[in-house]
Amino acid sequence: MTDPTVAEAWVAAPLRRLMEDARLISGVMLYPTGRAVGQFGFSNAADVMSICALTSAINASARELGRQLDGKPFYETHHAGVDRQVFMARCVASAQEFLFVGVFDRESSLGVVEIYFGEFQKALEKLRPDSPTTGKAPSGDFEGELNRSLDALFGPIGKR
Amino acid sequence: MKGLSEVVATLSHLPGVVVAMVVGAIDGLIVETSGIKGGSGDNDPRKHTAALAAYLYSKATRAADAARLGSPAFMRLEAEQGHICVVGARDVVLVTIVTPDANLGRVRLDMMNAARSDL
Repeated sequence: MTDPTVAEAWVAAPLRRLMEDARLISGVMLYPTGRAVGQFGFSNAADVMSICALTSAINASARELGRQLDGKPFYETHHAGVDRQVFMARCVASAQEFLFVGVFDRESSLGVVEIYFGEFQKALEKLRPDSPTTGKAPSGDFEGELNRSLDALFGPIGKR
Repeated sequence: MKGLSEVVATLSHLPGVVVAMVVGAIDGLIVETSGIKGGSGDNDPRKHTAALAAYLYSKATRAADAARLGSPAFMRLEAEQGHICVVGARDVVLVTIVTPDANLGRVRLDMMNAARSDL
């Protein structure tokens, strides 16, 4: 396992603990807009960029699907593949919402991931983001935000 | 063959059994559980116990396999204030939380019989 790399230092400790306790292979924490906050298990910025974009879109779709089917948004998604499984859920720190997506295999289980993600959520609730963005609407510069967060995680393009 | 709820009800009525559960062996999620004696809400140990007991049992299975002992028949974790007992039954595991003064022989026998013939 590699240590998490983070764009915001306050998430490093809880992210590392979640990675270790839940035996996750890889994971990304991001803003709902798709901007990455921290990651582990990836060495390629392009992979994280794709995952952030897809997770953001899946989250929006799942919420709307929940509203349509159940009258309230779905906040947690699990997909079981043959060898690997994906878990997506939201967490909140200082009223700012974040998304998390994690990948695990037979070394863990959905039950174990849910337990430690619950502890991760509680840990985050007690923390304050470095630069609170409460109520901040997306800037509209999706690509720029994404690239800035990837620079923070992997270094500027050309130095990665 | 009994239904899952009947298996859980039977085990939970044994003296000293605090909780009896049927748990998914792979995902660690509760399939069927008895009511809890002496706690619920934040103090409810069932979800955590189910996930971690199933996880532990999967590791014990690998350890037994590595030692060329075959599948584990019965797993008991002894703690300061009681025991966690686990028996595997194909796609599920039976999990009980038991007080220190329980008749462990009876609990073991009934769990293994349930796993063999009722699940």
